[in-house]
Amino acid sequence: MADTLQGTLDLLILKTLHAGPNHGFGITLHIQTVSQGLLRVEEGSLYPALHRLERDKLVKAEWKTTGNRRRARIYALTAAGRRRLGEAEQNWAALAKGVGRLLRLA
Amino acid sequence: MRRWLRRKRAREIHEEVESHLEMRAEWNQREGMSPEQARAAARRQLGNAALLEEDVRRVYALPWFQTIGQDVRYALRGFRRSPAFTVAAVLTIALGIGASSAVFSVVDRILFRPLPYPDAGRLVSFGMVAPSADKNEFLIAENYVRLRARQTPFTSFTSFGFISPCDLTEQNAARLRCAMVESTFLPTFGIQPMLGRNFAKEEDRPNSPKVALLSYGFWKSRFLGDRETIGRSILVDGRPTAIIGILPPGFELFNLTPFDLLIPEAIDEAHPGNGRAFRVFARLKPGVSLEQAREAMQPLFEDELRTIPPEFRGEVRMVIRPLRDRQIADVRTASWTLFGAVLVVLLIACGNVANLMLARSASRRRELAIRAAIGASRGRLLRQSVTESLLLAGLGALAGCGLAWVLIRFFVAVAPQGITRLDQAGLDSRVLLFAIALSIASGILFGLAAVVESPPAGTLAEGRAFVSSRGLLRHVLIAAQIAASLILLSGASLLLRSLWNLEKVPLGMDTDHAVAAHFVLGGAYESETRWRTFFDNLETRLQRLPGGAAYGITDSVPPFGGTRSSPYFVINVEGRPPYPQGAGGMVGWRYVTPGYFAALRIPIVRGRAFTEQERDAPEMPIILSQTLARRLFPNDDAVGKHVLRTGSGEWHTVVGVAGDVRNNGLGEQAGPEYYVLRKHVPDDTFRNRAPGGGWRAATVIVRSPFQPQAVAALLRSTILELEPAVPVTTETMRERAAQLTVRPRFNALVLGGFAGAGLLLAAIGIYGVIAFLVSQRTREVGVRMALGATPSTVSKLFLRHTAAWTAAGTVAGLAGALAATNMMGTMLFRVNAHDPLSLFAAPAILFVVALAAAWAPSRRAAHIDPVATLREE
Repeated sequence: MADTLQGTLDLLILKTLHAGPNHGFGITLHIQTVSQGLLRVEEGSLYPALHRLERDKLVKAEWKTTGNRRRARIYALTAAGRRRLGEAEQNWAALAKGVGRLLRLA
Repeated sequence: MRRWLRRKRAREIHEEVESHLEMRAEWNQREGMSPEQARAAARRQLGNAALLEEDVRRVYALPWFQTIGQDVRYALRGFRRSPAFTVAAVLTIALGIGASSAVFSVVDRILFRPLPYPDAGRLVSFGMVAPSADKNEFLIAENYVRLRARQTPFTSFTSFGFISPCDLTEQNAARLRCAMVESTFLPTFGIQPMLGRNFAKEEDRPNSPKVALLSYGFWKSRFLGDRETIGRSILVDGRPTAIIGILPPGFELFNLTPFDLLIPEAIDEAHPGNGRAFRVFARLKPGVSLEQAREAMQPLFEDELRTIPPEFRGEVRMVIRPLRDRQIADVRTASWTLFGAVLVVLLIACGNVANLMLARSASRRRELAIRAAIGASRGRLLRQSVTESLLLAGLGALAGCGLAWVLIRFFVAVAPQGITRLDQAGLDSRVLLFAIALSIASGILFGLAAVVESPPAGTLAEGRAFVSSRGLLRHVLIAAQIAASLILLSGASLLLRSLWNLEKVPLGMDTDHAVAAHFVLGGAYESETRWRTFFDNLETRLQRLPGGAAYGITDSVPPFGGTRSSPYFVINVEGRPPYPQGAGGMVGWRYVTPGYFAALRIPIVRGRAFTEQERDAPEMPIILSQTLARRLFPNDDAVGKHVLRTGSGEWHTVVGVAGDVRNNGLGEQAGPEYYVLRKHVPDDTFRNRAPGGGWRAATVIVRSPFQPQAVAALLRSTILELEPAVPVTTETMRERAAQLTVRPRFNALVLGGFAGAGLLLAAIGIYGVIAFLVSQRTREVGVRMALGATPSTVSKLFLRHTAAWTAAGTVAGLAGALAATNMMGTMLFRVNAHDPLSLFAAPAILFVVALAAAWAPSRRAAHIDPVATLREE
C-alpha cells in the first residue's frame, strides 16, 4: 500500500511520458496543466525521480534540441516502463476505489 | 573509469538543471516578466540547485557508501594539506594506545588475573619469617607437623619441600628439577592430575616405594606425550621410581618455578626434627576470614616459638597472607607505578588530541562557515567532521597496535627473571579494544565539538584576526600536560638516581675477567674416592689453563645466594667466655681453595691467604671478613687468634682478614663472613651440611686475561672432559653481578621511557599550541612590527607566554610529584623520595623542552613580513 502512495509521482511521470517523450520542465508543465493546477511537482523531487526511473530502465533519456533550438534532456518510456505504467494504473485504481469506499462508509 | 563516469554524470545533471532553469525563465518571460525577474523567479522556484544536484547524483550511488568515500577522500586531502597536524595527532593517539595497552596487558597479568587454582581467593601462605634467613615465610618440619595437627581455620594445610636437582640416571641421562610436596599439596590447591593419580598418603612416607608425577612439559618432551607412560618405572638418582600421574598443562607452582617431577617429600612424622624447612599453604574454611585465621593461629604459633632455637626467637614473627600477595609481593609497587605512569601518559595523550582538535577546528571555522554558506547541510558537515576524527583515530589505533606489540616484545625481552607471569603476557584484546574505543570516542567528541559549536553567520565577516574564546582551555590543557610530565620525570629521575647509587655499591671483589662454572656431580660421586679423584684431576687441569689464570673452587659465590650460615654466638674465641645464646644474628661462611681470593681479587687486608700446603696439613686455618674480625676482636689483631666456629668443633687459627664482600645483594650492609679451607679430604661438616646438591656441588672461579666468554667455554670443556655427563652452567662474574641491578634497571628503563614519551607528547602539544597562536596572531604581529616591534621582542612574546604556562603547570606538577614519589619508597635505594636534586632537575628539563618546543614557531613569528601580512587582508 505504502509503495503505491510513494509511487504516485512515478505514476504521474510515466503517464505523462505515455503521451510522448518530454523533458523535465515539460513534465512539470504537463502535470500542472492537465491537473488544472491541482497537482504541482517540485523540481527537487522530479529530477531525482526521473533519474531513479532512468536507473531502473523504466525510461530512457537522450539529449535533443527542442523546437526553440534549446538543448534538453528528453525522457521517453521504455517497454518496461510501459508495463510498469499498466501495473501502476491498476494499483492506483484499486487504491482509489478502496479509499473511496472507506471514505463513504466511515 | 568510474570516476570519469561520475564526473560526466555530474556535468550532465548540472546541464540538465541549467536547461530547466532557462526553460522556466523563458516561460516566465512569456508570462510578462523582465528577463532578470524571470531568471530570478526561476532560481527561486528551483530552490537550492546544488542540493538538488546532489540529490540527483545520490540516485546513482549506494546511498551512504559513496559519500563516505567522498568524505574520506576529502579528509585525506585535508590531512595532506596539514601534515604536521596529522602526524602529531596520529603519533599522539598511537603512543597513548600503544603504551597503555602494552603496559596494561603486562600489569593485568600480575595484578588482576586470577591465579590458576579453583577458588584461589581462599588459598593462603603461612609460616614464620626471620630477617636473616629468607624474606618468604617458612616452617621447620617439627613445628609444621604440630601446627598441622592443631590448626582449626583451614580445610587443608599442606607443605612444599623446595625444588632440588635430581638426575634421571638411565639412557639419555638428564638433570631434572624435582619438586618435593606433601600428598595433600595438589588437593589443597584444587588440582587434579590430567592422567593417573596423585600420590597416596602411604606413598608420602620415608622408605616407601618411590613414585613421581610428571609435569606436562616434561611428559611431552621426554615421553612424547605417550599415555602409556603411566605405570612405567624410571631411575631417579639411581632408584626405580614409578610414574603415577601427569599434571595438567596449565599447572604452575605457587612461585612459578619450573620443575619436571613432583615427588613425595616423605616427612618422617615420628621424628620430623631433622631441620627440614617447608613452605606452608592452606585453604581457608568457608566463612573464615584471613583475620580470623590469623587470630586462631597466633596462639598456636606462640607455643611453637618456644621450640625454636633462642638465637632466632627475637626476630621471628608469624606471617599469614593471601597466595596472590606472596606471589606478587616483589613486583607490586613496580606494577602499580607502571600502571600509574601509563595512565598519566594516556592523560597527556588525551590532552594533546583535545588540543590539536580544538586548534584545528578553530582554524577551520572559516572553512566550515563557507561550506555552510554554499549549501552544505549541517548533517553533512557533522558527518565530514566525524569521518575525519574517526580516520585519525583509526590511523592512530593501527599504529598503536603495532607499537603495543613491539613494546610487549620489548618488555618480555628486557624484563628480569621472576617478574611474575610476564612471559605469558600477550596483547590483551580487551585492553586494546578499550584503548581504541577510547581514542575513537575522544576523536568523535572533539570532532563534534568543532561543528556543534556551529560557525555563526558572523564568522565570515570576522576576517582572519579573530581570537578564539577557547584559548584559555587550550592553555589549561598545556599546563596540565606539563604537570603530568613533571610527575613522570621526577619518578624516573628518582629511579635513575637509585640505579646510579646501586651501581656504585662496591661489591668487594673485581668481577672483570672472572668466570664462574657451576655443576653438581651425579650420584656416582657419593663415593669419596671417586669424588677426590675428580677434583684432584680438575685442579691439575685448572692449573694448566692458559694465561696464568688464577682459579678457586668454592661452594657458593658472591654477590648473592646460597652461602652457608651459622649463628654468631656459636663462634668462641680462645680465652673468652662463650657468647650468650641468641646474640648477634647470623654469620655467612664458605669453603674455598687457596686461589679463591686471587680469582675474585678479594683483598687480604691482614695476614695471608690460605696456602696449598695447608690443604693436607692437620691444622685448621680460617680467614675472617673485616666486619667479622672487627666484631670478634674490636681492640686487637685477629691474626694468630684461635676460634671455635661450632660449639663442638676444632680450634681454628685465624691466618688472615679478607675485605668485605657483598653476599646478600646490594641493599644492606655487607654481613660478617668467614672462610674455611677446602681440604683435599673433606671434613665432616663438608660431608653433611652442604647446600643444594650436597658435597657433589661445586663452583669453579677462574680469572684470566682472555676474553671471558672464551674462558667460560674453555672452563666448561675442561670439566666435561673429566665427566661428560655433568651439566655445567657458566657465567661471567660481571653477568652475575649485573643480575643484582636488573630489576631496578628495568624499573628505571620503563619509567624513564614513559617520562620520555610524556615529555615528547607535551612538547608536541606546546609546539602545536604556540604554532597555532602564531598563525592566528599573524596580523597582530604584523601590526606590532609595523609599529616598531623587533623580531626578538616578538619571539619573546611567545616564549614568555610558554614560560608562564609551563610555570603554572610546574607548580601543580610538583605537588603531584611529591605525592606520587612517596608511594615509590620501596623501589628507591639511598635516595629520599623527596630528593631535592631530582625534584629540581625535572622542572629544569621541562622548561628547556617547553621553550625548545615553542622556539621554532616563535622564530617563525619573528620572521613575519609586516607588509605582506597587512596586504593579505
